[in-house]
Formats: sequence, C-alpha cells, structure tokens
Amino acid sequence: MSPSRLARPLTVLLLGGGLLWPSAAQAQQPAWKQGQPPSMSTSPLAPIPAPPSPTPAAQIPVDKIKLPPGFKISVWADGISNARSMTFGDRGTVFLGSRVAGNVYAVVDRGGKREVKVVAKGLMQPSGVLFKDGALYVAEIPRLLKFENIEASLDSPPAPKVLYEYPKESHHNWRYLALGPDGKLYFNMGAPCNICDPPDTHANISRINLDGTGFEYYARGVRNSVGFDWHPVTKELYFTNHGRDWMGDDVPNDTLHHAPRPGLHFGYPHCHQGDIQDPDFGAGRACSEFAPPLLKLGPHVAAMGIRFYTGSMFPSEYRHRAFIALKGSWNRTQKSGYRIMTVELRPGAPPRYEVFADGFRDGDKVLGRPTYIQWMPDGSMLVSDDYHGAIYRITYQP
Amino acid sequence: MTSRSVALAVLSVIALLGALTAAATTGTPAVDVEAGRRKAEVCAQCHGPDGNATAPGTPSIAGMPAFYTHWQLIMYRDGRRRDPQMTPFAERLGEGDLADVAAFYAAQRATARPASTDPARVAAGRPLAEKFHCTSCHGPRLLGQGQVPRLAGQDFDYLMKRLSGYKAKSASDLDGMMTMVAQGLTAADIESLVHFMASLPPAP
Repeated sequence: MSPSRLARPLTVLLLGGGLLWPSAAQAQQPAWKQGQPPSMSTSPLAPIPAPPSPTPAAQIPVDKIKLPPGFKISVWADGISNARSMTFGDRGTVFLGSRVAGNVYAVVDRGGKREVKVVAKGLMQPSGVLFKDGALYVAEIPRLLKFENIEASLDSPPAPKVLYEYPKESHHNWRYLALGPDGKLYFNMGAPCNICDPPDTHANISRINLDGTGFEYYARGVRNSVGFDWHPVTKELYFTNHGRDWMGDDVPNDTLHHAPRPGLHFGYPHCHQGDIQDPDFGAGRACSEFAPPLLKLGPHVAAMGIRFYTGSMFPSEYRHRAFIALKGSWNRTQKSGYRIMTVELRPGAPPRYEVFADGFRDGDKVLGRPTYIQWMPDGSMLVSDDYHGAIYRITYQP
Repeated sequence: MTSRSVALAVLSVIALLGALTAAATTGTPAVDVEAGRRKAEVCAQCHGPDGNATAPGTPSIAGMPAFYTHWQLIMYRDGRRRDPQMTPFAERLGEGDLADVAAFYAAQRATARPASTDPARVAAGRPLAEKFHCTSCHGPRLLGQGQVPRLAGQDFDYLMKRLSGYKAKSASDLDGMMTMVAQGLTAADIESLVHFMASLPPAP
C-alpha cells in the first residue's frame, strides 16, 4: 500500500471521521479562481494570458500613450517575449527576466539598434533579475541563481550556481529581486493562493546575503509584492502589493507600503488596504493591529515595478518621486490600471498620486501592459511590457 | 442562454480575453496559415495531414487554440517538455515557424478519435469535470481556449498519459496550474475523467 493510501484514512479519522471526504477536500481550484464566492461563479473574468509571441515594434501602438508635455515615448527594444523586471550591467547590458516564457534576456545597445540575446532558458518563471559586481542574480520560482562574470560571456553564459532553494509552490512565487542599501538581496515570497491563511514561509518579503546565507524574513502579511525600492535619501523600503481578487470591482485596492524596519505585519490575510476586514479571514482581527498602507493605488490595478527618480533628465519636480507601473486589471468588470503613476511623498501630508503615462488601454482593449521601470544612466526611463514583449524608452526635452 | 452563449459567458476566461485582446490590438504579429501548412508537412506523419492523428497515444492538434500549440512548441524547443520525436523537430523551428504552425492547426477542424468509452465511466466523469474545476479553464465543453488545450474528443491514451503525469508531477506544465489541481485526483477519478473527455464532441 502506498504511503498516501495509508495516510488518507488517518487524516479523516483525526478530523472526526468523514467530515473531509478525501477527494472532495482536495478538489483544488485553479489558483486564479480560488476564493471566488458562489455569487461570482459565473463571472467571465479571468487572467489575461501571456501571448507566446512578442509583438514587432512597428505593430505596438506606442503612439496612443499620453505623457505630460515635453515627454516622449518610443519602442526601445522588441522581441523580448514576456519581458519583466530589468537590471543594468556595468557595461550597459540590460538584463530582463520573464515568467512563463522561462527566459532570461540580455539586451545589448549597438549604437541605435538593440540586440536581444537569451542568456538562460527553460527556467521556471525567472522573473527576478539583479546585477551586482559582475554577476547576474536570477530568482526563479524554485531557486536563486548566480551567473558569474555574465557580461563577458553573453553568447555562452556560464552554468549558474544555485544560491538558495525556495519553497516549491508555484502560485504567487514568481519573484521580484532587488539589492537593499544593506547589501542584501530582497525578494517576495507571495501567498500561495488568492486568499488563505498562509504558512510563515509565504506572504512576506525576505532578504538574504549575496552568498545565499543569512536568510531572514523582513516584512510579513504581504499578499504579493512584485516591486520595491528604497528611498534615495532615507534608504527606507517602499513596496507595492497586489490586493486580493473576487471581492468585487472596487475593493480591495492594490497598495503602496512603507517598511522602514524589519518585522512589521501588513495585514494579509486578515485586513486589506488598511481598512477592510477579509470576509473569511478577518474575524477576530482588527485592521488597527497591522501597519497601514501609505497609499491606495486603485482596485485590481496590478501595481508592479516601483522606482524612485534620481536622474537629472526629467524636470526637477520629479526628483525623488516614485514611479509605479500599473500593469492593469483582470479581476474587474471595467479594466483599471494600464498606466504609469507617480507618487510624491510629502512630509506631514498625504502622498500626491498622479498619472504620468496613460493610454495602455482603449476602453477594454489592451494596448500594452507596463510592467517594470528602469532608469538609464542619462536619466531617461525604460519601461518593460510583458504583453508585447518590448521595452519602451521615455525621454524629456523642454 | 444557449449552451453556446453559456460557453462564451461562463469561461471565456483565458481564451476569450486573450483572443479579444490579441485581435483587438495590433499586438499579435501577422501569422501565415498557408506557410504554416507547408511547415507542418513534417508533422503529418504522426499528427495527420490536418492535425487529426490516428495512432493511439498521439494527440490530435486540429482545432487547438493557437496559443496552446505555440506555447507547447516553445516548451519542446527549450527543453521544458521532452519527447524523443517532438524535441528534435521543435529545435529546428524558428520563432515565426512556431506561430505559423500553431495558426495552421488552429484553423483545422477537429474530428473525433475512436474510443471505446464506457458509458458508466463517462457518467461518473461528467460531474468530476465540474468538481475538479476542469471547466474553469478548459471551458464548459472542454474545447480549450487561449493557452489551454482542447480535451473534448482527444485521444484516450494521450489524455490518460497527460493527466496521470500531472498527478505524478512529471508532466510538463506551462505555469504549474495543472500539477496543482491534479493532486486531488485519485486513479479512479482520472480514469473517469478521461472516459468523459474522450466521449465529448471535439468541435463546436
């Protein structure tokens, strides 16, 4: 008899006999549908699939994007299927991760023309990338990898070293990866569900030393953060977070959080957006127990990459503002997000939240999905789009 | 509502949204079905000239959503899905070839595979397709959509192999979804589901 057949009657017995019919208890919904109440069971809403092909630059409707006066947007590179987060190498290579495409890319700027190389393929949603001291760190779902001396060998990349093994659950565990001011690698370990009481190993932001040692949790109660950055002056952590699905069109909001020190709990799964108790996991818990969000970013907007502006190309009022890419909703009757926003932090006053780039949708038509932001050395902005598989560049000229 | 409108409304999910967004934007590169037909000639030996295979264990790919076939070819090419016959073939295809071949098969009409399905098993499998949420992604009549394959009328042996593989965590999986949902299935559930799926009409 197999171990699982032995275990099942025991489980039923321990739970009081017959309360949990094994196969009924284990009929697991696809992750995106989990937590959908019966009243929404006929909803046509579902995630927007990643196209298998990137869109050629000439067919990307970049002319539809609206920006403040003086700003211009163009397609900087195309042919990067499922393009996600970006990091700059010392020699100017832009590295990108992806999700279902399984690839890590290197984009080399050849004087006005960009060449795209695949430096790793067949990985499990390698969405987090970070370049540091000649090495490329890649966070895929099951592992944290390090490619040494990567820029010297873009055409024959070295076999990676495995620095750390993550929990195996795939849902919400495509990772963002960033380097903290403390020299540690930070990444998310998302909730393995839409809404559930997660184990300690999930629904957090954690950090680790560059050699893979010293793992520790940094922030807890974080449903899924796939973007964070540190304020250029205070060096404190700010992160975006995706709110839960299937509570209706207008709640909860995705949120921006401030985590100036380790150990804070941000409310998931008990409290959403700082003021809504979860219908299933909120009982007996008050929102006041948890660190509140700094800002509500809009319902279902899919707040992704966040970066503070430290360059000198944009007008001075943008200096130290946070730019946030809202990839855009699926779990909402009318689409929301599909924009790039700015947040101005103001001491003693609420943050100012403004539209920067608009027009990545036309009604319910998806025209693009801005995903991550990266500053170029000249202060211009790169924006990845994982729907078109492209990078845009936004420049300013008065 | 008619069953067709239910099909569209209930789980237009991945495909409908995908198809709408892809068609509505200029976002999808031009694909060439006729070029796909020529490039797919080498596939005919196993999958049939129009993607309707006959050999037990070989899937029919006629009428498959283009995103599905395209992603599977990418996975074969990149070593994420392995098969002694498919792998060397997929490795020779370029980006544009994958899209054309996928579009060609999407444009073909699927025909039923001969299967001696057991009516009692079919009846047992029908409610399981709801209970285990197969219909959530594959659609109410399991015709597939977007990156999600058609199961209706697919080859019996192939369905058995794939579903058992997901349960064993050994089958290739684009995003981990099937491996996760298959964990609750018993061997008997799998068999009933496969009888049910194989018995369904493969085309709308």
